[in-house]
Amino acid sequence: MSSERDRPFVTDDTQVQTETRDARMTGGGADNRFNSKLREAFGSSPFILTKFDQFMNWVRGSSMFMLQFGIACCSIEMMHTYSVKHDLDRFAAGVPRASPRQADVIIVPGTIVSKFAPRMKRVYDQMPEPKFVVGMGSCTISGGPFQEGYNVIKGAEEVIPVDIHVPGCPPRPEALIYGVAKLQQRIAEGESSPVTVKPYELEQFDDLEQDEIVEKLADQIDEDDLVMRYNWADSP
Amino acid sequence: MSLEEPTPDDGAVETLPTGADEIAELLGDLVIDTETHVNAPGFVIRPDTVQETLRRLRDEAGFDHLSCVTAEEREDRYESIYHLTSFDDRQREVSVIVPTTKDDPVSESAAPVFRTADWHEREAYDLVGIDYDDHPDLRRILLPETWQGHPLSQNYDQDRPQIVTLDEWENPLAEDHREDEGDTMYINIGPHHPATHGVLHVKTVLDGEQVADVDPDIGYLHRCEEQMCQTKTYRHQIMPYPDRWDYASSGLLNEWAYARAAEDLNDIEVPEYAQIIRTMGSELCRIASHMLAVGTFALDVYGDFTAIFMYAMRDREKTQNILEDLTGQRMMFNYFRLGGVVWDLPEPRDEFFETVRDFLDDLPQALEEYHDLITGNEILQSRTIDTGVLPPEVAKSYGATGPVARGSGIDYDLRRDDPYGYYDELEWDVITEDGCDNFSRLLVRLREVEESAKIIEQCADLLEDWPEDEREIQANVPRTLKPDDDTEIYRAVEAAKGELGIYIRGDGTDKPGRFKIRSPCFSNLQTLPEMSTGEYIPDMVASLGSLDIVLGEVDR
Amino acid sequence: MVTPLQSQVLLPERIAGLLGLSGTIGQIVGGLLGAFIIANLLLVQTAVAGPWAKRKITAAFTDRIAVNRVGPFGLVVIVADAVRLLSKELVIPEGVDRPAYDLGPLLVPFSALLGFAVIPMGNGIHLADPETGLVFAFAASSIASLGLVMMGYGSNNKYSLLGGLRAIASNIAYEIPLVVTAASVVVFTGTLQMSEIVAQQTQPLLSIAGVTIPQWFAIVNPFAFVLFVVANLAEVGRNPFDVPEAPTEIVAGFQTEYSSVYFVLIYLGEFIHIFLGGAIAATLFLGGPAGPFLPGFVWFTIKIWAFYLFTQWARSAIPRVRIDQFLDIGWKGMLVLSFANLALTAIIVGVIA
Repeated sequence: MSSERDRPFVTDDTQVQTETRDARMTGGGADNRFNSKLREAFGSSPFILTKFDQFMNWVRGSSMFMLQFGIACCSIEMMHTYSVKHDLDRFAAGVPRASPRQADVIIVPGTIVSKFAPRMKRVYDQMPEPKFVVGMGSCTISGGPFQEGYNVIKGAEEVIPVDIHVPGCPPRPEALIYGVAKLQQRIAEGESSPVTVKPYELEQFDDLEQDEIVEKLADQIDEDDLVMRYNWADSP
Repeated sequence: MSLEEPTPDDGAVETLPTGADEIAELLGDLVIDTETHVNAPGFVIRPDTVQETLRRLRDEAGFDHLSCVTAEEREDRYESIYHLTSFDDRQREVSVIVPTTKDDPVSESAAPVFRTADWHEREAYDLVGIDYDDHPDLRRILLPETWQGHPLSQNYDQDRPQIVTLDEWENPLAEDHREDEGDTMYINIGPHHPATHGVLHVKTVLDGEQVADVDPDIGYLHRCEEQMCQTKTYRHQIMPYPDRWDYASSGLLNEWAYARAAEDLNDIEVPEYAQIIRTMGSELCRIASHMLAVGTFALDVYGDFTAIFMYAMRDREKTQNILEDLTGQRMMFNYFRLGGVVWDLPEPRDEFFETVRDFLDDLPQALEEYHDLITGNEILQSRTIDTGVLPPEVAKSYGATGPVARGSGIDYDLRRDDPYGYYDELEWDVITEDGCDNFSRLLVRLREVEESAKIIEQCADLLEDWPEDEREIQANVPRTLKPDDDTEIYRAVEAAKGELGIYIRGDGTDKPGRFKIRSPCFSNLQTLPEMSTGEYIPDMVASLGSLDIVLGEVDR
Repeated sequence: MVTPLQSQVLLPERIAGLLGLSGTIGQIVGGLLGAFIIANLLLVQTAVAGPWAKRKITAAFTDRIAVNRVGPFGLVVIVADAVRLLSKELVIPEGVDRPAYDLGPLLVPFSALLGFAVIPMGNGIHLADPETGLVFAFAASSIASLGLVMMGYGSNNKYSLLGGLRAIASNIAYEIPLVVTAASVVVFTGTLQMSEIVAQQTQPLLSIAGVTIPQWFAIVNPFAFVLFVVANLAEVGRNPFDVPEAPTEIVAGFQTEYSSVYFVLIYLGEFIHIFLGGAIAATLFLGGPAGPFLPGFVWFTIKIWAFYLFTQWARSAIPRVRIDQFLDIGWKGMLVLSFANLALTAIIVGVIA
């Protein structure tokens, strides 16, 4: 399994599903978000726990608080999705919370650039589990129209794991609602996306490999500072 | 304060030098060479005489508006171009070109003369790599501090690895920067904060509840728009990008900025019919954009997603529906083409006009509602009147334009002062308010919506009566556009947030050699420290809301 | 002379009587069961108010629909929201001041629940009726600001700290006008005992065409009522006085760092506080559980929900005041007005009586 986790992108759909199921059944593995201590103690089959799991999945799929998080163009359409005509709250998913500690879902609405990626990673890390990510727009899929830019991260998946991608530039509010509804459906059915290994992680500066750029920056950056290293050449 | 007296030549407007020769005479031996830009005469000066030249132009020739600073790297030199114009007469323009050598690109800073040059030169340093002497605070502005190389310089390796720090992550009180006697507290507002309208980071020093110091830190949405445009062809490929600069639905206004510059550069004449469609679409965009501004300002002051925000969204929804009928998209229209628009009004035309008229008929009532809810509310008045004060001289020095300038009593609107499109044929007024505070800026936006509605109505009348066989939507434009080498142009339009200027240098190919965007929000945001130092946190937040910045345009 | 609206038997005694217990055991069991019943009554109301009614009310103000997919009218979202929030990861940030950080969220709902002990809710639902009932209610509800300060200080977050400080400032500035205004009612009644205050309001004030208008203090002294409601808005931290939370300024104020169970507790506490504010207002000014046709408890519920609706209305329609204006209104406006009101009431009562 570990050899597969080193691959940046898993393209085989069935394999993704298999891995998700395996991860859920065996407890450990890539996705440990839904597995309770009880399940570890009782194993995966007892009736009560299965029902309880179903109930919990239903709960998580029926109601969610969103993080009030705007980045770029898509955030305007996201605001429209929350408000009058489209009213995402009909799906019990329209309560924007300003603090990441109280949010379940982060909608990533826009282009992520090098300066922002560490901050977004930080915000994501501050959210309590179980948390879900909706990538909104082409920029969160691949960098979209700005993919060739010197400063643009080639998709949100490079930084945080994404559960649902909503394509479009920007997606219409209807599309975002469909995306959120799909996410709720997936959660309610007990599927969540596998956590892929991300190329860009926050690290302490002195944990980085000693190479030319690290040496060059050594007197500017404190050893304990959190940094993100971008290897643009390896980016998709 | 380094601000000097405003131009002392109010009484002597006639004597201001306007022609290239007169300006050359004024500058005397400061000029070492002359160039001709499509929009203005260009004077080449030595890098150590920047301040003297600009000061002379400002004080003696009335060029009090440093619209933009373009930096670029040429084959044999670096160049900073200062695009100067005047708030009183926008059609007087002059470019000051400052070449520096490749080995030692140091040029004198213009920041002591025009405060707006501060950020513009930081951007030039950041992206191109020109050093500015005597600059108050020359560090990177858009890219992270630790970035290696200058991405718009010529031999920049885009594939080299980069390391970016995260220094806002720690938040212990123990690491507070306390002075000996003062009890100030340093606080990061943003980049993820409900009041920053996107990903702005404001480094704030608080003294109790009051703001002691503000330093807006931008670049969290620097999407390399200039690089993108430089790698695309004039004819079709650049047009989608302007939609994404100011993405708060002023897409068509932005497209017009590019269209205007590129059309003037390539001598393309736009048919009158297309101009009217452009004018109408743009004003619809302006309404949508101002609605968002009003809604989010209310959000900042009211503090929750409450009625005003939702009502503003409801009205935006209507304009977006009309724009969708017209262009086929809700936000990213890609509707303009060089030489016109991509298609005619949707069929059946009657139905479209009916939709537009219905919207215009409902608008006064909606505006009445806003005035009831917002501007008529005593609490809101006490929150916004006399807060975030921006005096006109300061606004001019920072190059503030658009509703921000007009809220400070500066009568400056490119639609009237440097007419383009069909504006000069229509009946409408430029709105100004003299309050200079947050309330004035809010009022300007609300009143501008009325003016835009007037323009749309007149356009709809004209379009409806336009003879069917004269509906020419596009001029005949060659498939590939290749402006001559070394033709340079700087053209601006009045976007929703202010003066949106484009500088293009043709290099003989079908792609621009340099494409520079002068974003109104970038200059407007610079005034934030001026407006909020010494005020309370809520006022700072309200001022930020009243500036109506869009980070996509600030960072580009 | 005074017809008792409710039986003078308090809830614990009645429970003890029903169970056939007497003496100390009866008091303890009755008290505990009574408290349990009252707390649950409130928690149920809060559960309806928090995740569901708030959304629906806000949606009604903003031309939306809000939750309608889960259960009838989206009501089942209450279950989903509660269970989901409780089952979330409890993040304890690094460097928090542990006992304070943990105790703060507990204090908020419990202080408000404690205040309900002395509120007569009609139909004999009244846990205790000490002679100092009114003072007890105010005292209990102000413990909450201690909780807010603990949260703000303990969270190790500057936004929380600012929120905590603002919470103290607002509490000090508005508690005094609130209590002084309440004192003007006490001048009328001459007692602090809640049941007595309610009983006095059942007296007829005047009769017009066969309709008897009771002597509710909101009718007798509408000025005091308005003052009290405004000060109450500040007490419960709702627009235009929601400066301690102020989402667009200081993120979420004192609750910025709280997740999961603690967040639920804070959320609960806020809503119970609104209800307590409404309950005190109802008891002092609106005749408590009095009202025609319907049973007392229903009237009481209607009154506290009316206050809740009012807070939500204010939240949707009124801008937030700035912190300095907020304190100005408190110290320079409300305080002066409330003392003027007290003095006037005292003079009038003194002259008439």
